[in-house]
Amino acid sequence: MQPKTPSRMRARSEVKTPITPALYNAMNQMSMASPTKKRSKSKTRTERFDMSNPFISATAASHSRPASPTKKPSHADLGRQAASGVIKKGDIESSRRMMDVVASKEPAQKPELKRSKSTPSRAGFDQSDRFITTRDMEKDVVAGFEKMHIQPQTASPGHTARLADATGVPLNRRILSFHEPPPAASSDKGLALQRDHAKPLYASRPNSIATSTGAVSSKSRKISSQPERVLSAVNLMDDFYLNLVSWSSQNTVAVALGQSTYIWYAETGDVSALADAPEGLYPSSVEMSNDGAYVGIGLCNGDVQLYDVESGQRMRNMTGHQGQVACLSWSEHILTSGCADGSIWHHDVRIGKHKVMELLGHTGEVCGLKWRSDGELLASGGNDNVVNVWDGRLGDVGENAQGKAKWVKRNHTAAVKALAWCPWQPSLLATGGGTNDATMHIWNVNTGARVHSQKTPAQISTLQWSPHKKEILSTHGYPTNAIMVHAYPSMERVAEIRDAHDSRVLFSCVSPAGDVVLTGGGDESLKFWKIWEAPSAAGKKKKSALEFDDRTLNTTRSGVMSIR
Amino acid sequence: MATKQANKQAITLKGSTVLVTEFFKYAVNTILFQREVYPSDDFHMVKKYGQTVLVTQDPNVENYLEKILSQVQKWLLTGSVTQLVLAIISKDTRIPLERWVFDIKLVAEEEGSGGDDSKKPKQPKPDTEIQSEIRAILKQIISMVTYLPVIQEPTVFNILAYTNDSAEVPAGEWNDSDPLAIEASKSQQVKMRSFSTDHHRIEAMVSYRFDE
Repeated sequence: MQPKTPSRMRARSEVKTPITPALYNAMNQMSMASPTKKRSKSKTRTERFDMSNPFISATAASHSRPASPTKKPSHADLGRQAASGVIKKGDIESSRRMMDVVASKEPAQKPELKRSKSTPSRAGFDQSDRFITTRDMEKDVVAGFEKMHIQPQTASPGHTARLADATGVPLNRRILSFHEPPPAASSDKGLALQRDHAKPLYASRPNSIATSTGAVSSKSRKISSQPERVLSAVNLMDDFYLNLVSWSSQNTVAVALGQSTYIWYAETGDVSALADAPEGLYPSSVEMSNDGAYVGIGLCNGDVQLYDVESGQRMRNMTGHQGQVACLSWSEHILTSGCADGSIWHHDVRIGKHKVMELLGHTGEVCGLKWRSDGELLASGGNDNVVNVWDGRLGDVGENAQGKAKWVKRNHTAAVKALAWCPWQPSLLATGGGTNDATMHIWNVNTGARVHSQKTPAQISTLQWSPHKKEILSTHGYPTNAIMVHAYPSMERVAEIRDAHDSRVLFSCVSPAGDVVLTGGGDESLKFWKIWEAPSAAGKKKKSALEFDDRTLNTTRSGVMSIR
Repeated sequence: MATKQANKQAITLKGSTVLVTEFFKYAVNTILFQREVYPSDDFHMVKKYGQTVLVTQDPNVENYLEKILSQVQKWLLTGSVTQLVLAIISKDTRIPLERWVFDIKLVAEEEGSGGDDSKKPKQPKPDTEIQSEIRAILKQIISMVTYLPVIQEPTVFNILAYTNDSAEVPAGEWNDSDPLAIEASKSQQVKMRSFSTDHHRIEAMVSYRFDE
């Protein structure tokens, strides 16, 4: 009995028990911080032991009560009570802990404890109070313990006992929460939708590969992050939906700047103004014919004009479209135009009634149009997020002839401007989506199956297959403004040139030699990038397929020059 | 309302209650914003306590908080609420991640316990002083973000009111709840500043889950 004096108890706990802030807080709330108070409380409880449960007595007790001569019954009762309460809740573990605590400290009380352990219901009965329902008490005892973070490892027996001793204070408290759960975020559908739309605008720049500056090849190959040449292209329109740059097999570049169209000769660097659009109009697309002799110019009012590159003369003006012609593609003598109203027309440039077929398959503006090099298939992408592939064979031709899409793909979730046919595997078509989509899909056109998909960090403005390597190049808008090179079929990122332009990269074309890529950006400049090596003269089959291999771009030229 | 009363240099219990409730509103909003429980564009800026405070404009959340705080105000008036806890819980696993604890103490009680720093009602605390204390807490909440662990998962919040037994509880609206405690071995605690009116003393603390 002697070791059980209050002073002894205090000393023990002070030495052994680390008081966590939570415990300390809990103690504070119980106004148990001062040892003297505690002593007086425990004393009062002891006195009242026989008549009622200590939890009530603790709250009701006044500090002026005289100290009781013995402490034994208090702990016994405490242990019993805690045991019963906790056992009823189902937490055997903590009940045992409680019992052990008391048992270890008071060997004399063992028989009594055992009894309580074996007959918890009886113990519960013993301590029941008509003023306080049993349910509340159990709950609060347990809640109080949990709140105090009792840990069997960290809390010393003495400390646990002390806490248990003090349960009278948490007992008269309830933890309440509001009956309904808090409303879920973005319950406003309109707001959620807006958020979804605005998300890409706040896109954070994803991590670059390897080093953050410039392009680094993951393989042994190194791609320069600096352009070979920069041409300032004043008035180059910053419009995602237009197609204003075309590089012909004759190594000439047609580019539309503002109202005018220019031809830039890659070998010499000379520039000649080709045509001016009529007053108030501007070219929305330029496309050089396969032989490089003619330029098709689509205007914003729907007219399609044909110019002879060499003489600089207008050959004809083909009218009929009701909206802006944002894309053109040549296949032999057929010039196909995509219009803002979603229609695609085949113009036979040789005959008077130039419109030979109409392809209806888009509900939004047609912004991507590409003939396969063999002229058998035509791919089109629209602002309605649809990719169509059309049979290129013209059967019965005439003003009212209509073509049907071979297949339709609606996987993209944004405008499809970027389209590219694979030069070395005719069945492959790559398509890339705009801001909300930023995904590149590669299709097998024969089966219509999607072969690969690759998510990219930003809107895809153009795609270009390498003519000689199993790689595909993509150009991107905000936020990376990058040129990326992906390996095929692994889709691994071979290189990435961040901030290739100061603004989004809008247009691109590959040189006829297949080594240099020309990009046009919203920052009104054209940049030439040496991405791939032109195949060496020795024994490359692919090279012989290129008719213009001797006309490779003179890469020694460098520096900034104006196109005008 | 509270300001006016405070200006009269005789802040009543009612005025103090309004002031404390108002503080909870802005503190809860600030936490919800800072801890990104709700998307940040749900919040708009409001001038309060001489600084800008971000307050939710999602009507559902607004109503929800309003309902809770009006009850808290009633409890404050009767002095039956001792603690208010804003628990931030993982949405999927329901594991409590953070507990923002506001201890509410009646100043009168402290006087009884012999604290000599507590002021007598005869010398009311100037309104400006209270406001600057509140401002300090709100600023502290904002600055907490710098060292609280970044929460990657979606979260929900829950407000717990610790009341004493005598508190009148509207039936069906408030239920006894789990304390949503964080295991002591995995939690870190930081005590924040406190503020007091002539009748209440609010002490703030945050405990957060911190796994090594």
